Amino acid sequence: MLSPVSAGGPILRCSNVRKSFGTNEVLRGISFEIPTGSVLTIIGASGSGKSTLLRCLNHLEQPTSGEVYLDGELMGLRIKPNGTRVPDKAANIGRMRAQIGMVFQQFNLWPHMTALQNVTEALVQVKGLGRAQAADAGRKTLAKVNLLEKADEYPARLSGGQQQRVAIARALAMAPKVMLFDEATSSLDPELTGEVLEVMRQLAHEGMTMVVVTHEMGFAREVSDRVIFLHEGHVDQDGTPEEVFVKPTSERCRRFLSSVLS
Amino acid sequence: MSETLRQSLDLSLFWEYRYTVLAGLAQNVYVFLASAALALVLALFVGLSRLSRHRVLRVLSTAYAELFRNTPEFVLLIWVYYVLPILISKLLAAKFSLSPFLAAVLALGVAYSGFLSETVRAGIQSIPHGHVEAGLSLGMSRFTILRRIVIPQAIRRMLPEALSQFVSLFKATSIVSLVAVPDIMYQVSMINVDQMRPLPLYTGAALLFCLVIIAATQSINILSDRWRKRGWA
Repeated sequence: MLSPVSAGGPILRCSNVRKSFGTNEVLRGISFEIPTGSVLTIIGASGSGKSTLLRCLNHLEQPTSGEVYLDGELMGLRIKPNGTRVPDKAANIGRMRAQIGMVFQQFNLWPHMTALQNVTEALVQVKGLGRAQAADAGRKTLAKVNLLEKADEYPARLSGGQQQRVAIARALAMAPKVMLFDEATSSLDPELTGEVLEVMRQLAHEGMTMVVVTHEMGFAREVSDRVIFLHEGHVDQDGTPEEVFVKPTSERCRRFLSSVLS
Repeated sequence: MSETLRQSLDLSLFWEYRYTVLAGLAQNVYVFLASAALALVLALFVGLSRLSRHRVLRVLSTAYAELFRNTPEFVLLIWVYYVLPILISKLLAAKFSLSPFLAAVLALGVAYSGFLSETVRAGIQSIPHGHVEAGLSLGMSRFTILRRIVIPQAIRRMLPEALSQFVSLFKATSIVSLVAVPDIMYQVSMINVDQMRPLPLYTGAALLFCLVIIAATQSINILSDRWRKRGWA
C-alpha cells in the first residue's frame, strides 16, 4: 500500500477556494499547500469557516470557486478545453475521497455494525478486499488504536473516546494519503479527550499527513508544523506554532488566543 | 335471553367446519403475503423517490402516496376488480379480466404501499446525515451507502410502525370476499347460508382473526427484542 509520493512535495493543495451558502460567503479565497508528512492545524472562532474548509478538501462541500488538488490531481472538477468547469463523475470523486481519511466531531460510526465491521466495510465495498483479508487488516488497525479487544462490540457499548478511536481506525484502514480531523475531540468529555489526542499524536509522529481543526491549543502547538488562524473566511494569521501562538502579528488572532487560553 | 347467549358462545358449529374455515384462512394468508410483498417493494421505491434530488420524482411519488392513502381499500378493491378491466379492455380493444385473487392483491398492495411509503420516508430521514457523510468520505458510492448503511438501519427503525400497518393489512384481507376470493368471511357466509346460525359462525371468524394477529405480533416482537439485545441503539 505504498503511495507514489515524492517526499516532501505537497500532497494537498488548495488554491483560492471560496464557498458561499446562499448570500453568505463562508470562505473568501483560501490557498495553502500541505507537504507530505506534515501537520497543519486550523484554528479560529466558531463560524470562521474551519469546518467548511476541511469539508471542501474532500469535496463533502463543493467549493463555489477555486481548486483543490490531491497529489497533483484536480479534485471534483473537470476543466474542459474551452475553460468551462463541470462536476467530475461521482466514481472519480469517490476514488479520490478514498485516499483522504476523515474523522468527524460526532464520530458517525454505523450503529448496526460492530467496531470491526465499521473498519472493514469500506475495505470490502470500496477497495474490493475479500472478507477474510479485510478482517485481518481491520484487526491490525484496531490494534493500532488499542481497541483490538473491542472488535466485536457494537458502538453503543463503547465510550465516546473508544468510538472516536474506532472512527480513526476506520479512516486509517484505507491507508489514506492524508487525514482530516474535524474537531475530533469536541464532543468528548474532558477525561476522554486524552486517549484520542494520544492516537492523533502517534499518527503525527509516524509521519501521517494531517489537517486538524481543533480547539485543543496545547495539542495544536505541540504537534503542528504549521498553524492557520481563520477569521471570517480569511487566513488571518499563518505560520509555525511559535509564530502563531507566541508572537501573533494579527490583533484578532491575539484576542482569540487570549480568550481560549484563559 | 340466556339461550341466545349460550348459542352465541357455543362455537361447536364453527369447529365442525374447521377444515373449510382453515382453507379460507389460507386464502387470507396468501392474499396478505402477496399484497404485503407488493406493498413493500412499491413503498421502497415511492418512499425513496419522495426524498429524491429530482423534483419530478418527488412530485409524482407524493401524488401517488396521497392518492392511495386517502382512498378506502374497499373502494379501491371494487375499482380494480370491476372498473380497471373495462378500462384496459377499451384501451387494448380486447377482452381483459382479472382473477379475484389478483385484483385483491393489486388493490390491497397498492393501498398499503401508500401508507408504507410514509413509513419508509420517515425511517430513511431518521438516519443521521453524518452516517452518509462517513460513507462518502471513505469513497463509497451513494448506492452502496443506501444499501449497506441507510436501509439496514431504516428497516429496524421502521419495524414497529410497519408492523402495525401489516396488522391493518391482514385485517383488510377480510374484505376480499366481496370480489369472491374464497377467504374466511366467504366460507363463513356460505356455511351460514346452509346453517342459518350467524352468531357462532361470525363470532368464531372474529376470534380466529384476533388469535392469528396476536400470535403473529408476539412472534415478531420476540424477534425484534432479540435485535435490540444485540446492542443496536
